[in-house]
Formats: sequence, structure tokens, C-alpha cells
Amino acid sequence: MNRRLVRRLSAAPAYAFLTVLAIVSVFPLLWIVTSSFKGSGELANDPIGFWPTAFTFDHYTHVLFELGVLRNLGNSLVIALSTTVVTIFVSATGAYGIVRFFPRVGQRLTQVLISTYMFPPILLAVPYTLIMISLGLINTYAGLVLAYLSFSIPYAVWMLTAFYQTVPIEIEEAAQVDGAGRFRVFATIASPIVAPGIVATAIYTFINSFNEFLFALLFINNSDRMPISVALYSLSGSEVLDWGAMLAASVVVVVPSVFFFLLIQRYIAAGLSEGSVK
Amino acid sequence: MHTRTHNITRLLFVLPSMLVVVSLLLYPVLSSIYFSLTNRHLLRSDAEFIGIQNFLDVLASPEFWAAFQTSIRWTVVSIAGQLLIGFLAAIALNRIRHLTGLFRTLLIIPWAFPAIVIAFGWRWILNDVYGFLPNLLTGFGLTERNVSFLSNPDTVFWVVVGINVWFGSPLFMVNILAALKTVPKEQFEAATVDGASGWQRFIYITVPHVKKVVGLLVILRSIWVFNNFELLFLLTGGGPAGLTTTLPIFAYRTGWGLQQLGVASAITVLLLVFLLVLASLAFRLLNHWDRKDAS
Repeated sequence: MNRRLVRRLSAAPAYAFLTVLAIVSVFPLLWIVTSSFKGSGELANDPIGFWPTAFTFDHYTHVLFELGVLRNLGNSLVIALSTTVVTIFVSATGAYGIVRFFPRVGQRLTQVLISTYMFPPILLAVPYTLIMISLGLINTYAGLVLAYLSFSIPYAVWMLTAFYQTVPIEIEEAAQVDGAGRFRVFATIASPIVAPGIVATAIYTFINSFNEFLFALLFINNSDRMPISVALYSLSGSEVLDWGAMLAASVVVVVPSVFFFLLIQRYIAAGLSEGSVK
Repeated sequence: MHTRTHNITRLLFVLPSMLVVVSLLLYPVLSSIYFSLTNRHLLRSDAEFIGIQNFLDVLASPEFWAAFQTSIRWTVVSIAGQLLIGFLAAIALNRIRHLTGLFRTLLIIPWAFPAIVIAFGWRWILNDVYGFLPNLLTGFGLTERNVSFLSNPDTVFWVVVGINVWFGSPLFMVNILAALKTVPKEQFEAATVDGASGWQRFIYITVPHVKKVVGLLVILRSIWVFNNFELLFLLTGGGPAGLTTTLPIFAYRTGWGLQQLGVASAITVLLLVFLLVLASLAFRLLNHWDRKDAS
């Protein structure tokens, strides 16, 4: 009995530390959410009060409909969705091909991935800009999607390789005996088994391309075509910063990000510690 | 005949992803190296080959060295902070028995923030007129008047590092926690029976089990922070007075502000070379640990 009490008390510093960290971690999210529902007067006059005295959706209607950010949100969805679809198709076939046909490449894959990871986005930006100008892809969705494939595909191949490695080859062999072609085996047997992994990879790709900023800043300067990240940045450059509008727009962007991220969190960390990195 | 179609199918599977890596990564890197040897301008398509002139100019520029130094300070201090907080949080999470899932979920939230919201959120909290923190500090009488944390030269560096630590610690925490779970409990119990102190158990049992993951994390996240453009660009724009201008921001200003893409390429190529050298040294160290563990 006494020993149990000692054990419990000795964990107290850990609980205290985690509580402090949890508050610091969550505070910015809570603060921008509650602030976004405060009226402009309250935002200016009561900088410390946590709970809005009068809830208002004015900032949301203003930024989404009057400032036209809804359109930018739509742009982001189209761009991120296209990137995700192309990435998943290319990476799933690639990962499956590596696992089944080129396993020795698979062992070196992490090294390849890390080398591509080292390429600074700002370095790729110079040739991309010139290619986009010469192909007329500036201010197009296609140009941005193309640029996003450069970082999404290597990562997705890496994630998916780990998933396809878990598919038992016996199942595939049985199907092949029944006369199924390679692609059918891949599409109807192997891929359904790793479906959760594919979904996690897709969500991760989607979040990353939805949130990307640098390439969007460089390749899109027409405000009708801007994804939300750059649209918010250009709004913030206006003479008088409308904090209420910025906060409402930030909430619209961050809440889905956090939700989907928490949904897939256990897949993201898997690779590094489970020995797939050598 | 059969094996031939078989081989083609195999190649068809991997061809698209290989094509992407070659055309979207290798080719651009090679063409960047080429552009760095020309006087290419953003809006003019004629460019002359000028040899290593851009590199000489860049290396002679005090602004380059200032940005280089800022990049290194920003990376080293941020990563040290992320590692420290992430490690402590992982140990604490591994230690407790209740509410583990809740704490883990809450602590991961900053990781999910897009750069634009990290920047706006913190700029709102730190705003010197309407912001929560400056008003709170003044309210408590800790500061005489509201401090403008992001434009004050004395505070800006530590504040942006703090924000980066806030954002990056969860990634360290999650991965280190996963590694801590692989430490066999029996070793711990045996060491306790033999009278080893908590610190000794940490050094001789925990550290050897997690150091490879930690090493890899430090390398990957250092590369990421060193290459990152948007966090500082959106938080401070590189200011005040260039105090937070890192190499990517410096390259952006040169290439798209001054429109000198040739010079910007030289800056980014130097950045890449620096990273390649440093990373290959770091990986050699990791492999050395590996071999020592194996023998």
C-alpha cells in the first residue's frame, strides 16, 4: 500500500510537466478560435478576456463571402485533391513495384528519399519558375500540382513501401495461379489489404499540399487563382490589418488540418522507429 | 517472349515514380547548378555564361555570411530546444499510467498547424497592441509597457526559436516515445535490483536504445529547419533589420526581389553543398554507432 503511494507520488512531476506542455500546445488553437467569434470592438478593447461576451459570425461571413476567401479555399481544395490523386496512383504502383520486383532498390530507398529531402525547396524554385514561365504554367493549377508532386511522391513512395511489404506473397501467388494479371493482383488483392495505409498517405499528402506556401507564392499571383495560404498572406499585406477576418480565415484552415492530422497520427511516426530506416 | 512482357510490366509499375524523381528533382537540381554559372535574370530569357563569378560575388558579400550565420544559429538552437522538450515529454508520457492518450493528442496539435496559421496565430498572441501575452505581462506589472516581441531586436530571435520549438517538439516526442517502447522492461528491473540509480539507468539502458532514432531525427529535422522558408518569412519577413534573414529568405530576395536568378541559384547551390557535406558526416557518425553496437 505504502509503496503504491510512493510510486504514484513519484509520477507527479511527470503529470505536472505534461499539464504545462499541454496548455502551451493547445493555447494558440483555443485562443484563435475564441478570438474569431469576438466582435471587432471586443478584440480591440479586451485583449486578455478568454470567452467572447457576445458571439458573432461576422468575421466569418466577411472573410469568406465579402473578401472572397471562399474561392481561394476552393482553389486549395482543387489543387490539393489533384495532387493527392496523382500522388497516390503514381506512388502506389511505384511502391508495389519496388517491393515485388526490385526489393534491393527498396533497401536503399530511404537513402534516396533522404537525399531528395535535402534539396532545398528554394533551390528547386528557380528552375521551376523558369520552366513554368516558358510552358505558360504560371497562374495555373496544373503548374502548382506539378511542383507539389516533387515533394509528395518521394515521401508517399516511402510510406507505401512499408505498407506493401506487409502483404503476404502467398495470397498474390494464389491469385496469379487463377490467372489474374500483375496489375489486377495489385489493384484487387494487394491494395485493398493496405487500404488504411493508402488512406493515411493520401490524407498526409492532402494536408501538406493544402498547406504549402512557397511554391504557391512564387507561381500564382492572380488573386482569383490563389490557394488559401497565399490569399491570406496577401490579405495580411493590406494597409490596415483586419485581425478578425484573418483569425476567422485561420480557423477555417487550421481546424480541418488538426482534425485529419490527429486521425492519421499513428501512421506517420511508424517508419522511423520500427526499423524501416537503415 | 513471356519473360519479355513480364519485364515490361515490372518496369511500367515503377516508371512513373522514377520519371517524377528524375524530371522534378534531378533535372531541376542540375539546371540550378547551370543557372548559378550564368547571369540569368528573372524576366529576361537571354543569359550569358559567366563562370564562377556569382559564387565569388556571393562569397564576398557580408549579407550572405550574415544570413548563413543566422541560418546556423536558428537551426542549432531550434533543434536543441525541440530535442530537449520532445525527449522530456516522451519520458514523461512513458512514465505516467493515466490520461496517456489525452496528453499525447493534446501535445501533438502544434505539429498539425499550417505555416500560415502558426504565423498569424502567434502574431496575434504577440501583437503589441491587441495581443494576449504583451497585455498579460503589462497587466501583471512584469513589463512597463507592451513589448513588441517580433520587432524588438533583443527578443525576436528567442521568440521565433520558441515558436519553432513549440511547433517541432511533438515530432521528436512521438518518435522518441515509439523508441522508448522498445526498451526491454527486464533490463530496467534487473538494473534496479543491482542498485543502479535513475540517472545510470537512463545513460546505460535508455540512451543506447533511442540514440539511433534521435540521431536520425536530428539530421532530418535539421535539414528541414535549415531549408525552411515560410516560417520566418511569415513571422518576421526576415526582419527586424535582417536579424532573422536566413539563407532561403536571402535567396528569395535576391532571386525574386532583385530578380537575379543566377545569383540566387549560386546561393541555393552553396546551401545544398553545405547540407550534403554536413549530412554525409552525420550519417557516417550514425553508421559508426551502428557498427559499434553490432560488434
